[in-house]
Amino acid sequence: MAALRAERASPAVESVRDCRSLESGSFLSLPTFRLLFCPSLEALVLSEQNLPTFLVQLVAMAGNKGRGRAAYTFNIEAVGFNRGEKLPDVVLKPPPLFPDTDYKPVPLKTGEGEDYMLALKQELRETVKRMPYFIETPEEKEDIERYSKRYMKVYKEEWIPDWRRLPREMMPKKKYKKGSKSKKVDNTSKDTSLTNTADVLKKIEELEKRGDGEKSDEENEEKEGSKEKNKEGDEDEEDDAVEQEEYDEEEHEEENDYINSYFDNGEDFGADSDDNMDEATY
Amino acid sequence: MTQAEIKLCSLLLQEHFGEIVEKIGVHLIRTGSQPIRVIVHDTRTSLDQVKKALCVLIQHNLVIYQVHRRGMVEYEAQCSRVLRMLRYPRYIYTAKTLYNDTGELIVEELLLNGKMTMSALVKKVADRLTETMEDGKTMDYAEVSCTFVRLADTHFVQRCPLVHATENSDPGPPPPAPTLVINEKDMFLVPKLSLIDDTLALAGIAQWIELWLQMKVLPVQTPVRAHAWVAGQVPGTGHARGKGKRRRSSEDDATGEPKAKRPKHTTDNKEPIPDDGIYWQANLDRFHQHFRDQAIVSAVANRMDQTSSEIVRTMLRMSEVTTPSSAPFTQPLSSNEIFRSLPVGYNISKQVLDQYLTLLADDPLEFVGKSGDSGGGMYIINLHKALGSLATASLESVVQERFGSRCARIFRLVLQKKHLEQKQVEDFAMIPAKEAKDMLYKMLSENFISLQEIPKTPDHAPSRTFYLYTVNILSAARMLLHRCYKSIANLIERRQFETKENKRLLEKSQRVEAIIASMQATGAEAAQLQEIEEMITAPERQQLETLKHNVNKLDASEIQVDETIFLLESYIESTMKRQ
Repeated sequence: MAALRAERASPAVESVRDCRSLESGSFLSLPTFRLLFCPSLEALVLSEQNLPTFLVQLVAMAGNKGRGRAAYTFNIEAVGFNRGEKLPDVVLKPPPLFPDTDYKPVPLKTGEGEDYMLALKQELRETVKRMPYFIETPEEKEDIERYSKRYMKVYKEEWIPDWRRLPREMMPKKKYKKGSKSKKVDNTSKDTSLTNTADVLKKIEELEKRGDGEKSDEENEEKEGSKEKNKEGDEDEEDDAVEQEEYDEEEHEEENDYINSYFDNGEDFGADSDDNMDEATY
Repeated sequence: MTQAEIKLCSLLLQEHFGEIVEKIGVHLIRTGSQPIRVIVHDTRTSLDQVKKALCVLIQHNLVIYQVHRRGMVEYEAQCSRVLRMLRYPRYIYTAKTLYNDTGELIVEELLLNGKMTMSALVKKVADRLTETMEDGKTMDYAEVSCTFVRLADTHFVQRCPLVHATENSDPGPPPPAPTLVINEKDMFLVPKLSLIDDTLALAGIAQWIELWLQMKVLPVQTPVRAHAWVAGQVPGTGHARGKGKRRRSSEDDATGEPKAKRPKHTTDNKEPIPDDGIYWQANLDRFHQHFRDQAIVSAVANRMDQTSSEIVRTMLRMSEVTTPSSAPFTQPLSSNEIFRSLPVGYNISKQVLDQYLTLLADDPLEFVGKSGDSGGGMYIINLHKALGSLATASLESVVQERFGSRCARIFRLVLQKKHLEQKQVEDFAMIPAKEAKDMLYKMLSENFISLQEIPKTPDHAPSRTFYLYTVNILSAARMLLHRCYKSIANLIERRQFETKENKRLLEKSQRVEAIIASMQATGAEAAQLQEIEEMITAPERQQLETLKHNVNKLDASEIQVDETIFLLESYIESTMKRQ
C-alpha cells in the first residue's frame, strides 16, 4: 500500500481512497477491528507505532472525501481508550489449556445429606458392575492363564428381557440347516456349540486316519462349505457374514469327483530329478 | 446434541453398562433414529451384541423404538434421559428422606433395573431388608407394598406404557413391534396383589400389626449401607475412610459367598404372576418438581426467615395436586385456606400470616404474587419467575467467583438496568474507566455479557451507533449449562485416571482386607492380624489415603455441579415452554 509505505518515510499522510472501508462495516471486537482496519499488519508492526497513533494517521488519511484533513470517522471514546494510550498486544494464539485462576474455588458443601449421597454414589458405581446389564467386552486370550483369574470371576445373574415388549427382530434367532425360519429363544446355543466342538473333534480323528498334513485344509474347506449352505438356505436378505458364530457344522460332503484326501501343491514337480544327475534331461 | 453432552453421555454409559452398550448408545445419540442393520454396519459390531445392547438400553428407558412405514423399526436414543443418570443418588436420597429405608430401596431397585413389575420389586426389596435385619426377623411383604402404594399415590413411581392388546384376532403376521399405550388415568393405578411370603405365613391381621410395632420400636434396623454410614460417623476414624473400608469388606463378603445365597433365591414359585406385563418405572418429573419446590423454599428461607419459608412450603404442597408441574404459576390460594393448611406445630395468628403474605408479595424477587382480594387475599407462586431468579443467582455467583466482586457489581448493575453504555457503566458502578472496560471486555469474551447495537442511521456507521451492554439471561444460562457438562466430563475423566494410576495398590489393599476378613471369621489372634495388616506399608497407606480423599472430592464435586445443572435446565425448559 503506497500510502502506508509513504507513512513510514514521513509522518505526513496523503492518500485517502484505501480507507473508504473505515466508514462502513459493523463494529467488531478489538483485535479483529485492528486486523480489518489495518490491511498490512506488518506495516504497523514494523513501523513500531502503537494503534492510536496509527489511527490518527489513518483517520487523517480518511478525512472528508479526499481532503486529507485529520478527523475521526467514529468516536474514539466509544471504543474505550483515549488517544496516545498504550494498548495490550494482539494475541495470535488460542487461550492456554490450563489458565491461571486469580480466584480459588469455594469449598464444597458438606453435611449429612451430601455425605450420604457421596456414599450412595460410590456404592452404586460398584453395584452396577455386578448387574446383568453390564456387558463386558470379551477379552483377548492371555498367553498364560492366571490362577487367580478363576477365583476372581464375579457371579452374574442371567437377565431375560420381556420379549412381548420388544420388537420381534430383537430376539436371537436359532439357525437350522436349509433355513427354516424359527423365532424361538436360543436356549440351545450352548448345546449346539458343544455339539459343534464334538463334531470337530470327531472329524479331526477321522481325518487323522487319512493323512497328516491335510486335515487343516480340509477342515477349512468343510467349514466354508457348510457356511455357504447356510447362507443360501437362510431367508434373511442381508448379511449373515456377521453371524459367523452360530453356524452349524453339518457334514455335507461336496458332490464332486475329486478325492478329498488328495492334495498336490506342485512341489514334487521337478524336485526329484535333481537326485539323479546321470539321466539326460530333455 | 453438543459435543460436551455426547462426551458426558459416553462416560456415563461406559460406567454403568460397559463399552459395547456405550458404543451403540453414543452412535445412536450422534446420528439420531436408525434401524438395526444400519447400526450394525456403522459401528462394526456383531448383530448379536447390538441386540443385547439395545435390549439393555430399552429396558432402562434410554432408547425408544418406532415402527415406520414398510415395517421398519427405528431406534432413537434419549440424550437427556442418559444425563439423568448423574442424578440417581439424589433421587434415592430424596426417597429416603420422604419414605425411609423401604422407599429408598424401592426407588434404588427401580432405577437400577429400569422397569420392574410390582411383585418382583416388592419381593426383591423385602429380601434385601431381611438380609440386614437381625437373625430371626424378616421383612414383611405387606409393609413394602404399603410403601409402594404410597409412592404410587404421590406419583413418584408410574406405570410404563402397556403392550396394546389387540381384540380382534390378527389374520396376517403380527406387527414387527408392539405399540405401547398408556392411559392417563391408569398411570398410577396399583394392581391388586396378594403377595405370599414363602418364608413367613401371614396368619392374621393381629400378627401383622405386632410385627409392625416391633419394627417401629426396635432400634437400628437399617440396611448395610446406612449402617456403615452411621458407624462411620464415629469420631476419630475419619468418616470417609471408615465408610470405605467397611463397605469394601462387606462387599467382599457378598462376592465371596454368592453361591451360598444363590439357591435361596431360585426357589421361585411357578404359579402365574397376577400383575404380569404391568411394569413400573420411577417418575423423574415428579422428583424434579420436588427438587424445584425445595430450591424455592430454601431461597425464601435464605432471603427472609423460617416462617415465611414454611408458608411458601405450605402453599406449594397445596398446589401439588391442582397445578401441573410445567405451569408458570400456581392456582390462586386464599389466605384463609393457607391458614387452615399450615402445619400443626405452627401457631401464628391470622394477622401475622397476612403480614407475612403481604411482605412476600411485595418482595422485588416476586416469588409470591397477589392475584385478588377475595377470601382474605388470593396469592399465587410465580414458578417461572422463581426459576428465573434462581438461574440468575447462579450466574451472578459464577461471575463473582471467577472474576471478583467488582465484576459481579458491574454484572448485577447491567442486569438491573437492562441496557447500559460504556460510560454509564463506569458512572453507576463507581469504578475507574480503565478497570471497568477491562472487566467488561473480560465478561464479554466469556459471553456472560453481550453487546446490543442500536443504529442511528440506516447505514450502521460505527460513529453513529449506540453500543449497549446487556445480559441475555437465556443465552448466558445455556452457555453456563454447556460449561457444566464439560466440567462434569472433566471430573469423571480425572477420577478414572486417578483410579487407574493406583489400580495395583487398590487391588492389593482389597486382597489384604479379604484375607483379614476371612481370618477374623475363622478366628485368629491379634498378632496374626497385625502381621497381615503390615503387608501394606506406611507410605502405601498414605497413598491410599490421598487417593480416597481425592476421589471423594471429585465425586462430591460431580454431585454439586449436577445441582447447578438441574436449576439451569429447569429454567431453560420453563422458558422454552412459554415461547
